[in-house]
Amino acid sequence: MPSSNVSEQKPLSFKLILLALMVYGLVHLSPAIPWVSPSSFLGSLGPQTVLAEEEDEEDEEDDEDEEEDGEGDGGEEAEGEEGAEGEEAAEEDENAYLYDIGPAADIRPMPEIKDGGGYKFPGLGNRKATWGAAQLHILFASFILGCPMFVVIMEVMGARRTQGVRKAVILANVFMGVLTGVIIGIIGEIIVDIHHGVLYGLWACAFAALIISFLNYFHVCMNTKMSSIVGGVVGTFFAYLLVPIDHTTIPAILLAFVNGAVGGFLSTAIMFAEADYKFERLAHEITKVIGFCYSFTALTGGLFLFIMMVAYKDFISYLVTAYPILFMIGYPTLFILETIVLYIYVYSWEPLNKTNRKGRHIVLGVVLNILGLSLLCALDGPATFMQTPPKPYDALFTTMTEWDRIATMTWMPLNYHRLVGNGTFGGFMVGVISAYMYLWSKDPKEKEYYDWVGYMGNFIGVLFMIPLPAMGYIFVREIYQYDATIGMYIMSDRESMFMLVQGLLIATMFTASNVYMWVSMKRIENAHRFFPAMKLGFVLIIIAATIWFTPRRFFATMLPEPGMNPDMVLPDNLAFLALMVSKNTAAFALVTVTLINYIFYTISTRTGKIGWGKINPLGPYILIFMGFTDIWLMSWMGTIRELSRMNWHIYKVFKDVTPEKFAPTLAESGVFVTGVVWTFFIVMTAIIWLGIKYPKTKKAKAGETPAAAPQMAE
Amino acid sequence: MKNLPKILIIAAGVGAFGYGVGVFFNMSPPIMAGAMAGLTLLYGFLLTKQHRAPKEKGFFKNVMTKIPGVAVIAVILWFGSGHYGFPIWWQIKFVSFSVVGMIVFIILDLKTMRVEKGASDAIVRLIVTYAFPSILFITITAQLPQFNPEHELAKLNKKPVTTFVPGPEAIAAGREIFESNKCFNCHKVFWEGNSDRGPNLGTKQIGLYSVDYIKEQILDPRKKQSPGFEDKKSKKAMPTYYGEDLNEAELLSLVSYLKTMRDPTHMPVEGKFPNQWTWWDDKQILEEGKLVFEGKEPATEGLNCAVCHGADGIPMMTGAFDFRKPDNPDTDKMADHMDVTLKDFPDELYYRRVTRGVDNTPMAPWGSIFPHLYLWKAEAYARTFHDPLDKRTEKKPVPPIPTKEEIERWKKDGLFLDPLL
Repeated sequence: MPSSNVSEQKPLSFKLILLALMVYGLVHLSPAIPWVSPSSFLGSLGPQTVLAEEEDEEDEEDDEDEEEDGEGDGGEEAEGEEGAEGEEAAEEDENAYLYDIGPAADIRPMPEIKDGGGYKFPGLGNRKATWGAAQLHILFASFILGCPMFVVIMEVMGARRTQGVRKAVILANVFMGVLTGVIIGIIGEIIVDIHHGVLYGLWACAFAALIISFLNYFHVCMNTKMSSIVGGVVGTFFAYLLVPIDHTTIPAILLAFVNGAVGGFLSTAIMFAEADYKFERLAHEITKVIGFCYSFTALTGGLFLFIMMVAYKDFISYLVTAYPILFMIGYPTLFILETIVLYIYVYSWEPLNKTNRKGRHIVLGVVLNILGLSLLCALDGPATFMQTPPKPYDALFTTMTEWDRIATMTWMPLNYHRLVGNGTFGGFMVGVISAYMYLWSKDPKEKEYYDWVGYMGNFIGVLFMIPLPAMGYIFVREIYQYDATIGMYIMSDRESMFMLVQGLLIATMFTASNVYMWVSMKRIENAHRFFPAMKLGFVLIIIAATIWFTPRRFFATMLPEPGMNPDMVLPDNLAFLALMVSKNTAAFALVTVTLINYIFYTISTRTGKIGWGKINPLGPYILIFMGFTDIWLMSWMGTIRELSRMNWHIYKVFKDVTPEKFAPTLAESGVFVTGVVWTFFIVMTAIIWLGIKYPKTKKAKAGETPAAAPQMAE
Repeated sequence: MKNLPKILIIAAGVGAFGYGVGVFFNMSPPIMAGAMAGLTLLYGFLLTKQHRAPKEKGFFKNVMTKIPGVAVIAVILWFGSGHYGFPIWWQIKFVSFSVVGMIVFIILDLKTMRVEKGASDAIVRLIVTYAFPSILFITITAQLPQFNPEHELAKLNKKPVTTFVPGPEAIAAGREIFESNKCFNCHKVFWEGNSDRGPNLGTKQIGLYSVDYIKEQILDPRKKQSPGFEDKKSKKAMPTYYGEDLNEAELLSLVSYLKTMRDPTHMPVEGKFPNQWTWWDDKQILEEGKLVFEGKEPATEGLNCAVCHGADGIPMMTGAFDFRKPDNPDTDKMADHMDVTLKDFPDELYYRRVTRGVDNTPMAPWGSIFPHLYLWKAEAYARTFHDPLDKRTEKKPVPPIPTKEEIERWKKDGLFLDPLL
């Protein structure tokens, strides 16, 4: 045991040093940029200069523009050193000596360059280098946000219901209530058009979860039926109190009641669930991988930032100065806290289990998720600011506050979308881990266990994937409302073929998921009674995929450009097949068939004997295929979102004037995204081996039990 | 069959739900109800019939048994889609998806894969698992239609429009502004464009309207809806930010381009596809046309058709065309005389006679004096003398959308009387 502890300490300290360096770098870089000195190199990166430089570059004839006032945040003047007016101002400023940094002001530390105009990243170019680093960072970040959600659910399911655990489950239930409420609420908002549906869902479900959990803790309201009713009433009451509306509608009350009932039902079911040690083991194993991925998130984040600092220095400086509090205080604080909590969570697992403090560990897990989600929301601010900066633009740095620049029109929709997307990601990545471990295991008991893990991963992945189209829909709806031009660029212009590929990928995901269920059911007794009905489902899936993949036209822009075939347009009488109404019907069919098949699968598992560990060897490969496709899809959608800003870094505020300001072709993007996903999977394969397989092999050689230490009895 | 009543009840319930969904989302309730009830019945039937354990087959046997069925489906899809007017790419796509379906069903019926014999087996399979989707996605993204970034770069590098000088260059600049602001996404211009969310600005002949009106429609699109687009969705469809996005020179260039959208051979068309109509049958237009005809329209002060043709259709001047008589022939005083009677006058003839006048008669070339928008309205009204609106049993058919060649001919033949700018 001591030897293993020592070996675990090494990577911890290494990671901590690495992260501390990263944090140090981030904290010291961001705030320093605009305020070092007005005449220094870094000082020249303030927004005023950036804009002035852009103006110089783009239109030399507009001399009067160079004199226009800058948009300095907080009133500070970031004067451009190369402007003649800057020299005049310096002469007039009696206090100039206070800012004079000496000869360094005249000796430039770097050649004068514009974004991308000077250095070019070898081999890839600046755009692809940034693109690759950003996507890898997002993928690892999604892992460390998505998997903890999965892990906490599993840990709660696996924990014996001691008094401490029950206390912790109250908090976990509220967290679950918030997530569930948001998801059901959004679906209500989109499908039934309920104003503030998300808020109704959130408050109703969260408060129902809180109240019912408390009642359950004190052994009141003990059954699920009663909990659902009481939860529905309580949830409706709180939602009605908290949602800011002029008048209440019946659908809104119904939505609140349903959410409250779901919150009440789940709270009771979770509070009194029978603990199964498999869940505990699963959660613990995944957590080991999260630690490694956290390091890679930091590494790729650093890589992304460093590349941006050279390739797009003007833009990144502008962006940073738009968020002084976020980048100086908010982000580092959250980052540090999450690091601390994550490592405490990872390394306190066994000690807390052994000392019967499981409840505290669950609380840590919930706190970790809250911190992770806060970090996600915080960074979605700048991400959505780039796409939908608040209007009017001339008030961005005058009357608008930093909060206004965070809470853009698409901020919440992106938060929802990423939240649910990360849940899907977590599920499918667990599926990949299970597949690897199944393949690497020789012991039949291990194979049984990892077969079950694959089942759980697929279940969670599909469960989150079902509401995902609704989240995407609400995001794009906000984009359309902000500026329909962006929406049209995505749906019917240069990105229309990209979206067509998206449809194909989603259909592929659903098909693969159903094939996995089919393959899994072959190892369940009597499950074949469902096969003919499932085959009908597959026919429907193929039809739905065909409809989803029906474009209005087969050329890649809104109007045919030279070299395109202008006749490749659906006639007007058939155009309905390419409209949203048809796509929505197709999506509905995919989701419904998957749900029906899942019901068949669940019935089979309850009525027939399951041959765990005897899954068709095709099964694990399907799980890997789904993981690969999901992550490819995620990277693809990220590409679509970034490209939808067209030739703008910040839409209609900060123009991209680099040589790479155009949209890359579909083929080029396809190859590049594949490269990024391969890189991610190569690293992930190594991480899974290092995080789970290698310690297991080592412990097995030392004659120890491979599983985590069970929770102590009270 | 003992479960039949139960299945029927469930199917009826699902059908009712489908009907509700259809009503709520305005998606053909009977079809929704029928489809959902039918599928439920099918599911019910498949779940209750006796089943044998599935027969698994080897890959080649699987392929051989499925090919005939898929071939039949592919042939049906190919010819069926061709029959319904799908262009060839869609036909190829439908057939491709039948092959995809075959692959899925081959996987379903495939024999259980053998267990890996060793690590090398697993490694090979893993590589194949990663390579398969990679090749698939790369191939799909490479084979779908591509754009050339050079064209986008050329557009992006173009100097912005900052000055407006009426002329062909302004029209060309306006066209580019129309394209770059994605107006084609909702508005067709004759045959060009993608959807009918907004009016087809070509067949509506937006160019007939005044500059001020067109500007107002761009800057404040929700002030007045185009006829047929009064529904809630259409009212919110047109963005309101163009006033902020376009400078004055860009706006004027855009208007210049829109002013070219005219059709000298057909009456303007209103309404949302497929529920469209021409001005011939538009009650509102006929009322406005009456004002023009009777000299009461301020915008056409000095024009009074009734002075010669009579306010009630009885000509007030000898030789004036009598609009009450459907068998009146076209004038023989013009070189472009057509051998048709009034009831069969093509739109183009109405337009020509009014805008160009009739040689050696008091019928002046009004088109060189008054806005053609009002002349079309007056023509629509004139028809009511021999064909009153309340007696019509059917509307005039909406004319086919002019082709590119036809538009070129109008310009070449000088059919537009007034300059387009």
